[in-house]
Amino acid sequence: MPLPAPVWLLRTLLLLTFFLHVLFMNCLLGGTAIALVSMIRRKSSAFSAQLAGDLGRLLPSVFAFTITLGVAPLLFLQVMYGQFLYASSILIGVPWLAIIAMVIVAYYGVYIYSLHKQSGMTTAVLGLVVLLLAAIAFIYSNNFTLMLSPERWLEIYRSNAGGWNLNWSEPSLLPRYLHFMLSAFAVSGLGLLVLGLRQKAEDYRRWLIEQGSMLFTGATILNFGVGFWFLAKLPVATRLAFIGGNGFATALLGIGMLLPLAAIAHLIMAKAHKSPKRQLLIGIGCGVVTVAVMVVMRDILRNLALAPYFDPNQLPVAPQWGIIVIFVLLFVGGLATLYYMLRKVAIGARMQATAAEKLP
Amino acid sequence: MNYPVWQLGFPGGLLIAAVAVLHVFISHFAVGGGAYLVLTERRAYAHNDLELLGYVKLHSKFFALLTVVLGAVTGVGIWFTIGLVSPEATSSLIHTFVWGWAIEWVFFFVEIAAALIYAYHWDTLDRKTHLIIGWIYFVAAWLSLVVINGIITYMLTPGRWLETRSFWDGFFNPTYWPSLWARTAMAAALAGMFGLVTAMRERSPLRERVVRWAGWWLVLGIAALLPLSRWYFHDFPAYSRAYFSGTYTALQHALRGGLACAAAALLLAVVFALLRPKMMNPVVVAVLLVAGFGVMGSGEYLREFSRYPYVINSYIYANDIRMAQVQSITANGVAGTSSWVDANAADPNAYGGQLFAMQCGSCHAVDGYRGMRRISRGWDAKFASELLLHMPVVRATMPPFVGDEHDRAALGSYLASLAPATPSGANEKELGQQVFAMHCAMCHSVGGRRRPLDFKGTDPDAIVSMVGSLHDMSPDMPSFSGTDAQRHALAVYLSNPSQ
Repeated sequence: MPLPAPVWLLRTLLLLTFFLHVLFMNCLLGGTAIALVSMIRRKSSAFSAQLAGDLGRLLPSVFAFTITLGVAPLLFLQVMYGQFLYASSILIGVPWLAIIAMVIVAYYGVYIYSLHKQSGMTTAVLGLVVLLLAAIAFIYSNNFTLMLSPERWLEIYRSNAGGWNLNWSEPSLLPRYLHFMLSAFAVSGLGLLVLGLRQKAEDYRRWLIEQGSMLFTGATILNFGVGFWFLAKLPVATRLAFIGGNGFATALLGIGMLLPLAAIAHLIMAKAHKSPKRQLLIGIGCGVVTVAVMVVMRDILRNLALAPYFDPNQLPVAPQWGIIVIFVLLFVGGLATLYYMLRKVAIGARMQATAAEKLP
Repeated sequence: MNYPVWQLGFPGGLLIAAVAVLHVFISHFAVGGGAYLVLTERRAYAHNDLELLGYVKLHSKFFALLTVVLGAVTGVGIWFTIGLVSPEATSSLIHTFVWGWAIEWVFFFVEIAAALIYAYHWDTLDRKTHLIIGWIYFVAAWLSLVVINGIITYMLTPGRWLETRSFWDGFFNPTYWPSLWARTAMAAALAGMFGLVTAMRERSPLRERVVRWAGWWLVLGIAALLPLSRWYFHDFPAYSRAYFSGTYTALQHALRGGLACAAAALLLAVVFALLRPKMMNPVVVAVLLVAGFGVMGSGEYLREFSRYPYVINSYIYANDIRMAQVQSITANGVAGTSSWVDANAADPNAYGGQLFAMQCGSCHAVDGYRGMRRISRGWDAKFASELLLHMPVVRATMPPFVGDEHDRAALGSYLASLAPATPSGANEKELGQQVFAMHCAMCHSVGGRRRPLDFKGTDPDAIVSMVGSLHDMSPDMPSFSGTDAQRHALAVYLSNPSQ
């Protein structure tokens, strides 16, 4: 069947929505882990206890956004790459479908943590949530590497047709997973910075910024090592493309390595500054753009791996322009509605805070 | 053919049904419950009823926890599941309706954000704004039904899409409107049912007020659902309307069960919610929820059943084979078409087993529900492979077997290998009864409704000669593959089945 839209449009939407999904997903994965550490430290550190409380209020919404923003890229991915994704999903059917149950349990776990008083029980629930999210991420890494290796499908299918498989024979599986996990910690470090910048209490604000900077810097430095390991485990042709073979891919890799260094530099400079806000915002900006660059590199990697089998540009296209226009209009309307609602909440919250201050 | 088959050990369709029924039950509540929340809130403001307002606040949190988590994630779960069980059909749906889904996604994110703001910002927002957020929620939720309804109904009644391949022809198809209104009515009924759930946490006299209010939603919802469903089923394709008057016991059970659940819900709601709200209690509420689940499940089952033998009517068969592919697969064989089967496997039945998984696995397994070991008991390879030529006649709900002669023989011998048995009996008539069970009962009954055979009093020798020329009597009948003694025993049984 022909594609219902030109490839450039589908790819733009795929990458844009995936980028937004990744930001929230990283904050969820890293945020629950930070919350867990904060819960463990809550008795020895007042700031940790406070952070655990703040994250408890934030994480359910972050979870909701992660899922909502995950649906769109999955949709656009299926249009272009469905024939690969369906096959690899079936091969690992059991863990793949288990994701749904795991998400439900983890989601309710986050709510349990959020709605109950801090206790050993909520810490344990949070620990389970972190494990589940890490496992879900691992299954995703398995499927999204397996869909790129049609040459290994038949062997895996013959070994188990019941879907009890993972993609263990993929050389890049572990470095890729670790690379993405460390990124999640780095991005949630940026999340802590944002949280810190919004605080009024000076001590807590400074503590959050310090913790966030440390987390981002540490995870990013480790990720350089893991990134090279990942690169080394890619198939030769793909690897060569990223180190000179393909100009665009190589340039992105270069930018993708420089940007996080720039981010770290700004975070360090912010430490010495009296009013570090500007430096921090530039640092956060560099970090977020790094994620966007990585998302594009990931797409290039996918297309290089599938090049022997398939080129989406060769697919027949019969765009449904009328409906695309309706989608765009509704999308803009949806964003406007979202803006309206969030603005109302912000105004209401501010008025509430002012009213509370006026009380004797 | 293009995809591997997930060999679950039970029919893949069951997995879809399990995830889907749970999802539709909650997602319809998510639609109706939105209207229920805002209208209850408005009522509380209008009557300055602070107790009722307290109830809506509680209910909104219950609502958000159930719909935003379980409702939303099981919806994603349906996607995962259909991609695993019917990848070909899923791919086709995605290519036809990706922009429909993209539009639904817009409503989805507005819906989720509005639900969370509505439930958790009672104190942050002024009354008017809070009500507006509630309305935004409801409109977005209902619009997501408006979109998804077009895709679901398209699968059963693609209408003019089959010729035009146009998005709008597929979307606004012959059952679009009745289905939309029937589902909206169900959503209202479920809003009432779940309204009763949280009402059980309130004390008198608020409790009675809420019970009666929620009861009206339930009663009016179900009362509207019945004629709307009739309209909906009336617009089903002619081929599947025939199923309703036919001999499909599962379908009859589902239809009667659904009606019984609707009647029970209506009766209980009238008595315990409208007439004697003081007597409403958690047990009745639980029964109502089960009945509601029954109505919903029955409706979905009937819709799915009516779609057989297709997953997309007149386009893709229930076993995920495109009708357009049939000719080439028949010419080239399955092994010549799909790289996922291995025609050269060492075990002669292995290839047949792979064909079974591929062509039968969405509805049948070897054992258990619709298990073939039970059904194929005593079949021999010749009989089974001949039967495969006539699948749509054996059951109108079954797709034809697709493949070449070699494939048919392989699947036939695999089916015959599941439960080999030789008919035996203490006397000739008992033997004949067993021969009947193994060779005829797939399509015929004696004294029953399914293509009844009435040869009572006929000379057994006349029956014997008739059995020898079955294929000449009807091209849809396989030839009799038993021994002469078995044929005679069958004739004796048919000529005098009752004693």
